[in-house]
Amino acid sequence: MPQAPTELRVRIGGEAGFGIKAAGQMLARSFVDAGLETFDLTEYPSLIRGGHNNYLLRVSTEPVYSHVEPVDVLICLNRETLDLHHQELVDGGAVIFDPADFPAEDVPARLRAVPVPLTDIARDSGGKIMRNTVALGALLGIVGFPLTYLGDSLHKQFAKKAPEIAENNVAAAQAGCDAAVASCPDFFVKLAPIEGAPRRILVDGNEAVGMGALAAGIGFYAAYPMTPASSILHFMAAHEREYGVVVKHTEDEIAAMNMVVGAAFGGTRAMTASAGGGFALMVEAFGMAGASETAVVVGVLTRPGPATGLPTWTEQSDLRYVIHAAQGEFPRVVLAPGDREDAFELTWKAFNLADQLQTPVVILGDSYLSDNRQSTPAYDLSKVTIDRGKLVTEGEVPAEAKGADGRYLRYKVTEDGVSVRALPGVKGANQLGNSYEHDEYGFGSAGEPAEVRIAQNEKRMRKMKLAEKLAPPPAYFGSPPDAADIGLLFFGTTKGPAREAARMLEREGVKVALMQVVTVFPFPAQEVAAFLGTVPKTLLVEGNFTGQLEGLVRQECLLPVENTLHRYDGRPFTPEQIVARVKEVL
Amino acid sequence: MPTAKELESSMKPTWCPGCGNFGMFRALKEAIEELAIPAEELAMVWGIGCHGNGADFYNVQGFHGLHGRALPVATGIALTRPDLKVIVEMGDGDGYGIGGNHFIHSVRRNIDMTAIFHNNQIYGLTTGQASPTSDQFMKTPSTPGGVVEEPVNPVGVAVAQGATFVARAFAGDIPHLKEIYKRAITHEGFSVVDVYQPCVTWNKMNTFTWFRDRVYRIEELPNYDPTDRTKAFDLSMSTFHELTCAPDECKIPVGIFFEEPESFTYQDGLPQLDRPMWKHAEKPRDISATIAAFGG
Repeated sequence: MPQAPTELRVRIGGEAGFGIKAAGQMLARSFVDAGLETFDLTEYPSLIRGGHNNYLLRVSTEPVYSHVEPVDVLICLNRETLDLHHQELVDGGAVIFDPADFPAEDVPARLRAVPVPLTDIARDSGGKIMRNTVALGALLGIVGFPLTYLGDSLHKQFAKKAPEIAENNVAAAQAGCDAAVASCPDFFVKLAPIEGAPRRILVDGNEAVGMGALAAGIGFYAAYPMTPASSILHFMAAHEREYGVVVKHTEDEIAAMNMVVGAAFGGTRAMTASAGGGFALMVEAFGMAGASETAVVVGVLTRPGPATGLPTWTEQSDLRYVIHAAQGEFPRVVLAPGDREDAFELTWKAFNLADQLQTPVVILGDSYLSDNRQSTPAYDLSKVTIDRGKLVTEGEVPAEAKGADGRYLRYKVTEDGVSVRALPGVKGANQLGNSYEHDEYGFGSAGEPAEVRIAQNEKRMRKMKLAEKLAPPPAYFGSPPDAADIGLLFFGTTKGPAREAARMLEREGVKVALMQVVTVFPFPAQEVAAFLGTVPKTLLVEGNFTGQLEGLVRQECLLPVENTLHRYDGRPFTPEQIVARVKEVL
Repeated sequence: MPTAKELESSMKPTWCPGCGNFGMFRALKEAIEELAIPAEELAMVWGIGCHGNGADFYNVQGFHGLHGRALPVATGIALTRPDLKVIVEMGDGDGYGIGGNHFIHSVRRNIDMTAIFHNNQIYGLTTGQASPTSDQFMKTPSTPGGVVEEPVNPVGVAVAQGATFVARAFAGDIPHLKEIYKRAITHEGFSVVDVYQPCVTWNKMNTFTWFRDRVYRIEELPNYDPTDRTKAFDLSMSTFHELTCAPDECKIPVGIFFEEPESFTYQDGLPQLDRPMWKHAEKPRDISATIAAFGG
């Protein structure tokens, strides 16, 4: 059944190197600039055949939380795209293609063939390279959307090039539009700009994390490239001089994590990020941040493992790993953003938590968060706060941080477990940050007596109690738990497809309560138990094989989990998949 | 400005009697005193090993990191705190073995800081296994048939990798070591000081006597030019010698092998490093221009 005319789903496919992602993002930008909402999904490379790239864009007049399965328009930049994706199209869906690539008869009869001579128009407009632009014009033509927004994007894109390049592209888009409208004037989806729509930004998860770190006053970012985290490094490096951040591409992740600890020891807000594989190399120094009570922020962006795994795909399989990483026991906080709004907010909050607790804080995301762009309410900087906890940056070490002998006690045993942190440079701040167990001064050889070990270990672990108070609570969406037919429990980016699924189910009269575990460690056992005890049925949805969140629920809440849904093929959940499982459960 | 005495903590050194670390401890304290470095402007970092136990014995602003990872911790401090002078102490297994990658990359970065390597050619704290600088064919509990590979040539590696200050010293000659330390600490750029520091407990080959019979000061060489990188590299080949070489068959040069007094340091390449980087977190940063660039 064709979708309501407030929504458009379009897939662009072609060979790697055709600039498909760039074209798609320009299209998304045009819609967002016109006040519409978008969510995109870039897939590269396909497992079906190497070299096939495709970009999926969902456009709506309402906020969108994830991609969906059906497609209304398929833009084929090559023949293969038709073969691979035509079955995703709804009946009456349009196939925009170049008749030089394949004849119209190859388009299945249930679909609408929209032949547009992409190559010829592009060549006539000034160069074959503009083929994608012709196709974008064709798409906008059949949905009746003004080309002006795309024109603005093209002018921005080519602002630094010769002026005729932008003009040629605009002409190419117009010619593509004209050809498509002539062939398909009555397509069932029509979109129009929304006047006075609220400000939206179009960001991917890594940009959101980067902006969160910048807003939080980061001074040092060190990392080694690894998909899907690399673009955080690019983002930070692109802004290092503008905002006064030292950004270091290191020799390996071991160096990155150790440098971050060194920078944080000096009082600088410091961060690193990688995929799970890079985090494996960081783990020893991650534990050192715990032992030495150093405030650091670490991004772990999961891709399917183990080992090199599926570098460009997604999974939620690092939850247990991150919670347990490193030898020994020490306090930590793990935050799992579900979308690009969360990613910004949880990143700046992570820096506050790290400072307040003087311990490492992890942002646990995945490729689905990192790689894909979502229209998001423009970040409100007035909400960002900085709380550096018990930090002394200048002057003298305060009296309460000194021992009976007048010397600074870096690891003074306190009620909440947090000691005054006087930075190097503060008068009287001689200290020893230590990876060894240590006494209150920091001396390693004095850390061996049992009573000292117990005092320091208990002091550190007391910070978990404080973490429970400070860490962001779970988030709830959909119907109230006591009025719902079913409750969905999830963490991280499953939030998007789960919210979409709930919306679809609500339309069918099924009431769904959603609970997102935002702080996955310390685990919010009381809240999860209360949720599970309230909803009549439960479905736990997570992108892994072994049920890592499920295990935490069982362990922390001593409760069984009735129904689960797993995915571990490298793809994110789709809302349709969750809807189908909910219907089974009900 | 702390005196050598004030640079000592309340903890008594626990090194074995006669350990080469005592000489290094004294020489460094005296060098810091003579350079009149204020306590608030000095940061020290240690790796793990017998040298690292020294972290407890210094009364400074310090960080005792992981085995092999002192250099990146120190780099994190140096690249965010331009107000601090950073001195890193490492061992031979620590700095040239497990941390060897960081050594190479720290050298090529030419970060303005001082790296001191306690080189006793053995693993002391883990009871006497071969280290990356153990002489070839030396027998140890981990190499009962003798070390098969050639030792790391840290001076040669540093010189070849573009280091701007490379010295080697002997812990048995404290006045000479102290002068080298002072030169290294005042050098603008990455300074490497490899110090032969005999292990009296585990290394029965490379003893104080063995070194005394073989070391000579580079500055006594006629016409030696420490700005000639090729000559410095040639001289570093003294690292390689027969295990049982006679004193006159394997002379060990100590002193400054190479120095490039004016060089482009990593910090020179960071115009944004104009203040202690923690100052950026005094209030939320205004990134509205960046948000606007994303459409907001």
